[in-house]
Amino acid sequence: MSPRGWWRRSRHHALVLLVTAYCLFPIYFVLVQSLKTAEEDVFGNPLIVLHPTLENFEELFVPRGEPRGFVGTALRRSYPFFVWLENTIVVFTGTVALTLGAAVAAAYALGRLRPPGFRWWRRIIFATYVIPQTILFVPLYQVVNALGLDDNLLVLVLVYPTTALPFCVWMLSAYFQHLPREIEEAALIEGASRATAFFRIVLPLSRPVLVAAGIFTLGTIASDFTLASLFLLSDINQTIPAGLGTMEVALDELLAVAGINLMAIPIVLISACFARGYVRGLTAAMLEGA
Amino acid sequence: MPPRTRADARRRREIGLAYLLLSPALLLLAGVLAYPLGWEIWTSFTSLSPLQDGGTAFVGLENYRRQVEDPQFWFAATVTVVHAAVTTLAKLALGLGFALLLARPFRGRALVFLAVFLPWAYPASVSVIGWYWTLSPPITTAYSVFMGTLKYAVDGALGTGAWAFLSVTLFNIWRGSSFIGVLLLAGINAVPPELFEYATIESKSPWQRFWVVTVPLLRPFLALGVFLSLTTGFADLANVWMLTAGRIVFPIIGTHAYWLAIKAGEFGPASALSLMLVPFLLAALLVLFRLFDRPEREAA
Repeated sequence: MSPRGWWRRSRHHALVLLVTAYCLFPIYFVLVQSLKTAEEDVFGNPLIVLHPTLENFEELFVPRGEPRGFVGTALRRSYPFFVWLENTIVVFTGTVALTLGAAVAAAYALGRLRPPGFRWWRRIIFATYVIPQTILFVPLYQVVNALGLDDNLLVLVLVYPTTALPFCVWMLSAYFQHLPREIEEAALIEGASRATAFFRIVLPLSRPVLVAAGIFTLGTIASDFTLASLFLLSDINQTIPAGLGTMEVALDELLAVAGINLMAIPIVLISACFARGYVRGLTAAMLEGA
Repeated sequence: MPPRTRADARRRREIGLAYLLLSPALLLLAGVLAYPLGWEIWTSFTSLSPLQDGGTAFVGLENYRRQVEDPQFWFAATVTVVHAAVTTLAKLALGLGFALLLARPFRGRALVFLAVFLPWAYPASVSVIGWYWTLSPPITTAYSVFMGTLKYAVDGALGTGAWAFLSVTLFNIWRGSSFIGVLLLAGINAVPPELFEYATIESKSPWQRFWVVTVPLLRPFLALGVFLSLTTGFADLANVWMLTAGRIVFPIIGTHAYWLAIKAGEFGPASALSLMLVPFLLAALLVLFRLFDRPEREAA
């Protein structure tokens, strides 16, 4: 190999390593801390773990109400982590299902049926992103209270879709709009109903875009900490982010870090499984939309 | 029935169905956003405050006027502009770099792609907790001395609170560059390869190719990334705000409005303040629409 080629190759390798390290280091760091014993957390090397243990993870599941011993004179209380986990699964599944359902219906209407002014409908839906979220939760709280839904998981399932729905409608409708008309029309001529044609033909063709919309929704709602901790107050009704936010981190730093990982790892795994599909779906939507 | 009217009837049914299918999405959005938005606009013209005994008075544009005359506002506005510019540019530069790196095949590309994808996929709601406690750790941990030293160095050079602000900014960039990188990678895949190939033959240097070909071809996707990072980036800040109980020394418009509403109980000025961002975001949105729904497409 020529020296120039060698130089270019090693530069490329270095760049790849640098990018990977930059992206993964914070994730790695939090993972390593959660595997440490209290002793190693204080005296060990922060970057590595020599005696990995799962005791922090086990401690998260100590039944509620049982004291977990003292630090100095401070009692370490236990947290209903298992309940948080269940709540999180309920909220996330509900939100993703609701968002995708509403987005697919709206996108089909805008992209295939094209009512008058469909472009403007699409723009208006997307434009809701402009509404400043800063203090919107104050009036939102009034509504939630008036409906008697405070401290109820349903609030999040209803509020979360607004953060992901506009992008999903935009992406899906761009994709539907440019699917050739003929693919449905053939089925309609054969006597199939619109619904059959949709579920049998259009939906299977849209799998990558649906995956992209789903992953976008999951990633967006999994980033919310504010709404969850504002609306879910009692600890048995909290999701993991809201619950972890209430932890006494000075006492339970390792526990909190373990909780972070327990929430993050499943979501990261799900996203990783669909990562390629996510890009493919985005590409499909852009190919059609741009 | 003559065929003409039959087609009409069919089209009418289609339109009816379209509105029916649109309704769940519209109801969700309007149900959650309409009242709060109306409340925010109305409140921005009043003196509403939970801390105030007397009734709420309509004060017209007073809240807006007071903001514009307040030096605090101009400080927050400056920080907002700088923060938005710095994070957006950094996210775009890094994201574009990631996308260009991943656009060409090499050994282990799938793994590097996953690494680039993860900062965004990693749930920010909890990573922000980890991030915050890593950068301002409890005293007992092994890295607290190092982080403490860094914190005092930064705060000493730039003023108290600089470290916290810097760490929020870094977190924002870390997460945002991942999202934009993946978005732009999808964008590059959507550009026909012939266009890139033709441009490669035509252009003289890689640098020129980048500015004359890559950037213009990706412009709609760059705009989409910028818009989404401007509107969603605030969530990260709000998260940190919640965690630090508002110990933010460098306010941006959003956090300043938060502070006015929550700590000072001044809902009127807070509403006015957060609405002041809308014209700028709308302008960004119009640019985005121009780039995406180009006029020649409307005819098609």
